[in-house]
Amino acid sequence: MPPSIHPFDLVAALRHKHLTPAIVFLTSRRACDDAMQAIQRSQVTLPPQRQHAISLVLKELSTQYPSIAEHPLLQTVERYGVAAHHAGHLPSWKIAIEELMRQGYLDAVFATTTLAAGVDFPARTVVLTQSSVRKTREFTDLTISEVQQLAGRAGRRGKDFVGFAIVTPSPYIDIDVITKGLTGHPEPIDSQFVIAYPMVLNLLKAHPLDHIQGILARSFAQFQLNRRAEALEAKQDAVHKQMEPYGPRVCTDWITQWQIFDLARKQKAQRAHIRRREPPELMARWQFLTPGRVVGLPKGRGVVLRQYRSRGERCPMVTVLRPGGHVTECPAAMITHLYDRTLEVEEAREFPWCTVDSLGHLIEELSELPTRIPNLPILVQEEAEETEITLTLNDEFPCPTCPSRLPCQKDHATALRLRQELQRHTKTIQAHRTGLWHRFQERTEVLQRYGYLTSTCHLTEDGEWARLIRIDPSLLITELIRTEAFSGIEPQILAGIMASIAHDDDRPGSFPRISHGLASLLGQVRKLAQSLAPHEDPPLLRADVAALAERWVGDTSLTWIRLCQTTTMAEGDIYRLLARNLEFLSQLHTLRATHPGLADTASRAIKALRRDVLEELP
Amino acid sequence: MTTDELEKLLTKLPVSQLHMLARGRIHRHFRLGKRRLVEALLGHVSVNRGGLESDLQALIQQSPPPSQESRPRQKPGSAPAGVGRAGNKQRAPSEAGHAEPAVPASDLSAFLDGIGVPPPQPLVPDAWQEEALGHLATTDVIVSVPTGSGKTYVAIEAAKRAIEADRTVIYTSPLKALSNTKFTELSKLFGADQVGILTGDRRDNPHAPLLIMTTEILRNLLYDAASGEIDVRLDTLGLVIMDESQYIADPERGVVWEETIIFCPAQARLLLLSASIGNPQEIAAWLTSIRPTPCHLVQHHRRSVPLRAGYLHPNGKLAPLFRSVGIPHGHGALLHPETKRLFAQYEDATLPSR
Repeated sequence: MPPSIHPFDLVAALRHKHLTPAIVFLTSRRACDDAMQAIQRSQVTLPPQRQHAISLVLKELSTQYPSIAEHPLLQTVERYGVAAHHAGHLPSWKIAIEELMRQGYLDAVFATTTLAAGVDFPARTVVLTQSSVRKTREFTDLTISEVQQLAGRAGRRGKDFVGFAIVTPSPYIDIDVITKGLTGHPEPIDSQFVIAYPMVLNLLKAHPLDHIQGILARSFAQFQLNRRAEALEAKQDAVHKQMEPYGPRVCTDWITQWQIFDLARKQKAQRAHIRRREPPELMARWQFLTPGRVVGLPKGRGVVLRQYRSRGERCPMVTVLRPGGHVTECPAAMITHLYDRTLEVEEAREFPWCTVDSLGHLIEELSELPTRIPNLPILVQEEAEETEITLTLNDEFPCPTCPSRLPCQKDHATALRLRQELQRHTKTIQAHRTGLWHRFQERTEVLQRYGYLTSTCHLTEDGEWARLIRIDPSLLITELIRTEAFSGIEPQILAGIMASIAHDDDRPGSFPRISHGLASLLGQVRKLAQSLAPHEDPPLLRADVAALAERWVGDTSLTWIRLCQTTTMAEGDIYRLLARNLEFLSQLHTLRATHPGLADTASRAIKALRRDVLEELP
Repeated sequence: MTTDELEKLLTKLPVSQLHMLARGRIHRHFRLGKRRLVEALLGHVSVNRGGLESDLQALIQQSPPPSQESRPRQKPGSAPAGVGRAGNKQRAPSEAGHAEPAVPASDLSAFLDGIGVPPPQPLVPDAWQEEALGHLATTDVIVSVPTGSGKTYVAIEAAKRAIEADRTVIYTSPLKALSNTKFTELSKLFGADQVGILTGDRRDNPHAPLLIMTTEILRNLLYDAASGEIDVRLDTLGLVIMDESQYIADPERGVVWEETIIFCPAQARLLLLSASIGNPQEIAAWLTSIRPTPCHLVQHHRRSVPLRAGYLHPNGKLAPLFRSVGIPHGHGALLHPETKRLFAQYEDATLPSR
C-alpha cells in the first residue's frame, strides 16, 4: 500500500464525489510543489471552457499585478485547475489563487498548514494529511484550535449546503489527534505579555513612573496571573486549616527542630556510607573507566574492556587489553594514567568481553597509538566537611526529656510537608502578583545603564528618539544608531544591515558575494549584538540575506527574476525579507527630526527598494 | 479512548486475547500474567496508540460478548488458523462487518447527501449577529464563533452604524495582506472616500471615517496619542474592531493586542472578533475589569454551514470518519467501522513490522 494517496488520485477522487473545490493541507512547501508536478505529469486537463475562464480571471488580475503574467505555474493552473499556495510564493500570486478559489474556478489548492491563519479563502472541502506541524524546528501535534481552524475553511456560506473535512492517511498522521481536534473543545488561550524596551520608553514618556504599575496591572497577563494567585490563595487557606493541629507545642518551633534533627541523621547515614567505600580519587576515576578508555598501567598501556567489582579482591576491578592481545584483570587502583582517548569497542557478555572483530581492531589501534596522549583531567571531590550540625548532634534527640516528643516524632513529617507547601504557595503568589512589575524594573535598569533613561526614570535625549524604534531587536538598532555605525553609509549597505537584522528565518539560502563594506559593518553589528545578548536575544544576522538586499537596492537595473536567480531562497521568502526591510527602514525614517542624515539614507533605500514586484502591492 | 477506558476494556478480555494483542508489541509477553499483561499493554500505548486501539476494537467485535463464559475458552483452540502467524488483522475485515453496533453507522450516501449549491437567498442576519450589534450600542462586545460564520457581517454593520452616528471607526487585522484585502472589500462597500488604510508602509486617505490598519500601527498611534503627538482624531473615535483577536495568544505579537486594548480610549467601543477559543469568558471578564462598561460575550459553536468529516483511503475509497453523519462533540466519539477497518489496514501495511 502506498504511504499516502497520490495527489492526482486525490484530486480525481474529490472530483468524482463532487467534493471540489478543496483545500489540501500538506506538510511542507516541497510537498505542495511535488503535488503540482505530479498533477502536471498526469496530463488530464480541464475542459476548454473552464481553462478559458481561468485564464480570463488571471489576465484581468495581471493588469493590476504584472508579476502574475510571468509566473512559471501560470500554464499549469490554467490547464489543470489546481494550484499551490504557500509562503514561498509572491503575495500577488497568492492573491490570484485566492481570487480564483473565491470564484470557484479551481478544483484544489495545495497549501501548508503553517499559514493556515493567512489563508483567507473557503472551499467545499478541506483535506487533512497530517496531524503535526513544524514549529521552529520540531514537529508538534496540532492543537484542537488549529484543527478547527483548518477544518473551518470547509463549507462556503451561501455556496454550500454542507462542508467536508476529509482525513487521508499519510506517514505524518495520528488519526486520534485529528478526531480529538474535530470533536473537542478548543484550548483556552494564555496571555503572551512581554515587556520590550520600546514599551518601557513609551510608557515612561506618557506616564509618570508611579502610574506604571497600575497600567501593567490592567494587562490580560496580570489578570490571568491574579486569577492564578487567587486560586493559590484558596489552596493556601485550605493548607492553613490542615496545619491547625500542628501549632506550637512545648517548643514553638518544633517543626524546624525536627527538620534539623532529621537532616543530621540523614547526613550521618550518608557519611558512614562513604567511609565504607573507596578513596575519592578512585571513585572519581571509576566513572571514566568505561569500555574503550585508554589507560596507563605501571608497565605500558591498555584499553579497558569492562569494569566490575570483584568479590574476592573486595575492590573495583577492570579488565584491560594489553598490547599484544593479552587480556588481563587488574584492580582499578593500579591504573596510573587515564588518557583523554577512547577507542570503539563492541562489548560482549563473555570473555574476551568484546566481539572478536573489534578485538582485532583494538589490538591494531593500540599498537598505533601515539606516544604522547593528553591525560584526562579529573576533578576529585574532597570529602565533604562535616557540618556543625552533624558534629554536635548525636543520634539522640536534642531534648530527650521533652513530654511531647512522641507526638512530635509522629507528626513532624506531615507538618513539615504542609509548611513547605505553604511557603511554596506564598512564593508563587508573590511572583504572580509582582512579576510583571519586576520585569519592567529590570528593563528600566538596562535602559538606564545604556543612557536612555535618567536615574529618575525620565527619558534622556537618546530615549526621546529611541522610543520611536518599535521593532525587535530595538536595543540593537538604537545602539547602532548611537554608536554612529550608520553615519555616512550608502543606502544599499543600510538596507543590507537592516535585512540581516530583520530576517529571522533560518531556512538555508545561498548568496555568495557580499561587498567588503557590508561585511565589515556586519561584523561590527555582530559584535554589538553579542555584547547586548544578556539584555536582548541577538538576531540571526545572516550575511547572505544582507547581500541579497544590498544587491537589490544597490543595482536598480536588476530585475526581480534576475535577483531570484542569484539565490536559492524561494520567491516569497525574498519578498517577505524585502517587505520587512521596508518596514524597518521606514521606522528609521521616523527619526528624521533627530537624525536627518540617517533618515535621508533610509528614504533613499526605501525608494530604491520599492520597485518591480515590491511596488505591485500597496 | 482514554487510558482508563482502555484499561477497562483490556481487563475484560480473556488472557488468550490479551496475548494476541501483545504479540509483537511486548517482549516475552507469554511470561506475563493477566495483570502484568494489561499493564504492559497500557505502557505500550505511548508507542502506538492508534494501532493498539484499532486491534482491540477488531478483537472485541470478533469475539462474542464476555457474558458467555464458554466461548472465549473455545476461541483459541477452534480458530487457530486465524490466530496464526499472519496475525488477526487479515481476519478483521471480514468479521468486523458482521458485528452489530448499538447505533447504526451512517452510510456513505447519507454522508454525501446534500452536496450542492443552495439557491441565492437574501441575507438574513442570525440571532447572534443581531445580539452582538444590539449590545455594541452600549457596551464592548467579544464575538467568539467558528470560522466562517459571518463575523465580517457584524463588523461591517457595526462600522456602518458608527459612521452614521458620525464617529470614527478603526478596523485592525493581524496581517498586512488581510488589511489590504479588507481595504479593497470595504472600499467597494462604503465608497472609496469613506475608507482609509494605514500599514507599515502605506498611507491612503488617513482622515477617512473608517480606517483599516494592522494592530501594530494602532498600538503606535495610541502611544503617540498618549505622549501628546496625535496624528489621527482619537477623540471622535467611536469603535475599534479587532479582527482575529485570538492573536492575543501569539507568542511574538500577542502583547501588541494587549497594549492596544489597554490604551484604547475609554469613549470608544471595542468589538473583538475571534475564532472559537476555549476561554472567551476570561477575556470578557478581563475587559469588564479594565474598561468603563461591562463587556458582553457572544459565543456559539454552531457552524452556519454544517461540517462533516470523512476518511479517504489511499486506494481512493471514501468513508465517513464518524458513526454519525455530522461531527460529534466531546470525548469518546466513535469512528465509523469502515474507517476503522481501512485505517487499521493502512497502519498494518505501512508501519514497520511489529
